[in-house]
Amino acid sequence: MAVYKRTYKAYHGALTPAWSRFTVLTRYGLSTLFDSRPFTAYTVLCFLPFLVGLAYIYIVHSVAAQAIMGMNVGNAMPGTVNNDWFHRLLVFQAGMGFILAAWGGPGMITKDFANHSVQLYLSRPISRTEYLFGKISVLAALLSCTTWIPALILFLVKAELQGHGWLWDNLWMAGSIVLGCLLWIAVISLVSMAVAVWVKWRIAATALMLAIFFLLPALSLVIGAILRTNWGFLINFPFMITIVWAHLFKITLIHRHASGFDVVPLWAAWASLLSLCAACFWLLDRKLQAREVERA
Amino acid sequence: MPAIIEMQNLTVQLGNRTILNQLNGSLSGRCIGLLGPNGSGKSTLINTLLGFYEPVAGAARVLGKEVKSNLRELRAMIGYMPESDAFIADMTGVRFVRYMAELSGLPRGEAMERAHEAFFYVGLGEARYRKLGTYSLGMKQLAKLAQAIAHGPKLVLLDEPTNGLDPEARIRMLQLVREIRDTGEVTVLISSHLLRDIEECCDQVLILKDGRIAALCNLEEERKANLKFLELEVTQGNGFLESVRGMGCECASFGAGRVRIVLPDDIDLRQIYRTAAEHEVQIRRMNYRRDSLEDIFLKAMAGSPQPQGSANGRL
Repeated sequence: MAVYKRTYKAYHGALTPAWSRFTVLTRYGLSTLFDSRPFTAYTVLCFLPFLVGLAYIYIVHSVAAQAIMGMNVGNAMPGTVNNDWFHRLLVFQAGMGFILAAWGGPGMITKDFANHSVQLYLSRPISRTEYLFGKISVLAALLSCTTWIPALILFLVKAELQGHGWLWDNLWMAGSIVLGCLLWIAVISLVSMAVAVWVKWRIAATALMLAIFFLLPALSLVIGAILRTNWGFLINFPFMITIVWAHLFKITLIHRHASGFDVVPLWAAWASLLSLCAACFWLLDRKLQAREVERA
Repeated sequence: MPAIIEMQNLTVQLGNRTILNQLNGSLSGRCIGLLGPNGSGKSTLINTLLGFYEPVAGAARVLGKEVKSNLRELRAMIGYMPESDAFIADMTGVRFVRYMAELSGLPRGEAMERAHEAFFYVGLGEARYRKLGTYSLGMKQLAKLAQAIAHGPKLVLLDEPTNGLDPEARIRMLQLVREIRDTGEVTVLISSHLLRDIEECCDQVLILKDGRIAALCNLEEERKANLKFLELEVTQGNGFLESVRGMGCECASFGAGRVRIVLPDDIDLRQIYRTAAEHEVQIRRMNYRRDSLEDIFLKAMAGSPQPQGSANGRL
């Protein structure tokens, strides 16, 4: 740089729209996550079920492909591409996405807290809500790309190959895919952010996140066994999501530790998940501050 | 000069403690110093001006705008350098500053250009591609300054900018602050408990004590006012002091030829020389004595803070 330029000068140029500032956080968040090669490799791996599903749908509808693979043409494939198929695919994708969120989510926030940079963000023209929205958007974008977007693509491919009004007969399934996944993404993202803001240490935050989704289910079984009640399942959040998804996809599943899905009514499952989200919001509101106030 | 910061009964409580207690005043210097001992409320005032803390009573205006209702607009015009470490350790210096500039609303290209310029300006040009976590304390301070000015703010809030710096780095930091001040495009507010830092940069100073304003003074005016205060060392001469008194000056003799004189506005220095010559008195030493900031600060600390609800006066 020329020496004559090494002076302070004010900026009088154009500014980006105020509503778009949170996207800066999202962009930098994604960029930072993909700086890690293992994370990038795992994200790519998350698309594998989609590719397998795509191939499966193609083979189901392609006589030529079945012939090439040496299958008896005209025989039914081992599984039909229906609501149950999409549900199973999404459950698998959700599991992979959970690892993705636990890996990348807490670190985005804990890094800011570890180095006290939250005050720098919030001294800019962005609010706490925008900061949070920008960070959550990173997870939401990643998880969307690995869950409902590929599932919808598979749904459309199936509709195209099946024809004969399959799309209109099963349009409700598209809504179920989007709604179910958005609920799951919201829960996972909020929990990830809230624990990160609370413990401010990445390893502890990831451990806490795993505890919420793996230890609490175990605790719910203990509560159920001791108190002889099914209401303990309310803290089994993966099970609550499973109940909601089962209703959305109109399937009947049997939980290995319960006599049926009616152990907890649907409204209670929704209430449990919404309560978890509300608790996360409360924690974020309390803890996400530019400055911590030490109370006397 | 229009007021940069105005406070009207500004009261801030954190928990159960009142940190800022009914502050009133108007700050309008090009470089404003915020002085006070540790715990006097300096950082809290800066955080309140940034909207991090909400006043329980009263209000503050920055650059003519109410803080509470114009937060987003104000934050776009303010650059903030916090007291504590504040950075993203695994980010390179220039990327970090670019990131912060983009958050302030600069488009990507401009943010990148300004980030490079800011790094060269603070003297970290060669280290801009190093990760911030590897910077020394002095470099981190300069990087914080770079992020505070990269987006071209109208007001820069510097919270203890020379904290932890060695003498050379401190001089460099203060020189940068003076340069930024002298561009005339930006107002600087420095919080510090180091009197020399404030004295070297500021033309107005607000002294806080226990969350109240202990003094609010214009250093430039204080300096000008004190130019009329003379300290002389003279050989004994009959009638010299009487003649000076006769001119309307206040005089005090301290023995061994040491004399202090307060010059009225209509008396200039030449008349003192002339009178000394008339009485065959040799002036061996003469200096203008002025109140240093230390004097002002000590007076402010010795005096009781303003009572609640009173107007803030000068020293």
